[in-house]
Amino acid sequence: MSTSQAVFSGWMKISESAVDELDRQHAEEAALAALVSQYAGTLYRVAFSVMRNASDAEDAVQEAFMRVLQHRDMLGEVRNQRVWLIRIVWNIVLDRKRRAKTRPETDDVAELARVLPCKGLSAEEIASASQHHAHVLACVEQLPPKEREVLMLSAFEELTSVEIATVLGITESSVRSRLFRARNLMAGLLHHARS
Amino acid sequence: MKNTTQDLSVHYFSHPDSSTTGEDTLRLIAGLPAPAGLEDRVQAGLRAAPAKGRILHWPTALLPSRGLAGGWMRSAAAAAIVVVVAGGGWGIYSRVQPSQPARVVVMPPRVGTGGGFSNAGAMRTPQTLNGPVLLHSAPAKPAQAKTPVRTAKTPLHREQASGKAAVQPVAPLAR
Repeated sequence: MSTSQAVFSGWMKISESAVDELDRQHAEEAALAALVSQYAGTLYRVAFSVMRNASDAEDAVQEAFMRVLQHRDMLGEVRNQRVWLIRIVWNIVLDRKRRAKTRPETDDVAELARVLPCKGLSAEEIASASQHHAHVLACVEQLPPKEREVLMLSAFEELTSVEIATVLGITESSVRSRLFRARNLMAGLLHHARS
Repeated sequence: MKNTTQDLSVHYFSHPDSSTTGEDTLRLIAGLPAPAGLEDRVQAGLRAAPAKGRILHWPTALLPSRGLAGGWMRSAAAAAIVVVVAGGGWGIYSRVQPSQPARVVVMPPRVGTGGGFSNAGAMRTPQTLNGPVLLHSAPAKPAQAKTPVRTAKTPLHREQASGKAAVQPVAPLAR
């Protein structure tokens, strides 16, 4: 092989990969579409549990998938895509929640009364349930941030303690201890309110 | 999903004491269904997003399927690019004159002070205190007008101490 052929053999390899670029792009788009159809609902519920606003939660989901689009080259390296996506949307909603602290809080009672299912309940029960949920959420807001995050993520039955630990970037034992403290604090807060 | 959340809601009302930690509320919220059309909206948003930077592809004529001719054309194109770049660089280098060394500029002496104030040749004379005013001096009198006669009672050293000896001429004493 002459020198020029040896030099340009690398170029030929690049051009071969360039030919496959279009196919690879189509494959990435298909994988991303599959992720959207599979996990959009889960991400929405995670986002809604923090934001408690439908449009804000949807925006957070949109932003999460936009970030995935920007880093779609990493999709092949991700082992658990569901936890990876939940971690992305979790960071997004926490960041948004932190920035929205300066704005006045939305009326959680009215929002919950509108959103939560109330089929088969009387108007009085619906109002009572909304007030109860709003009170519980107010108590949740009084928890320390670490305990609050664990408690909110533990409400998702599809997330195990290991996955919660992965999302929060802590150990599983820390998740358990924080969850224990959060439950005790919540019980105390609710008992104090009732008494 | 809807059935699950409804069951939870009914469960809360049937067993109100089970919500000692408030987790039923969080589970209720966590079990809310996603709004209809969420996936389509997300897909539309992703399609409307700006595409990632693309790689420029080789022209079809230069693809390796063309065999050896494609390789020679590619090498010729690379050589042409190298010639153009090198020629352009040389052209710029040859046209640009080297910068001349800095010359010393002799500044002309300043004539006057442009824009400033001048003393117009005036000399500054400091203000001094007024000295003693001299009155008209008395006309000089002869020195021998009144010379005290030394007596034996006034010795010479006393006269010198009182200053009288200064005005006393020495010559008469010598006589």
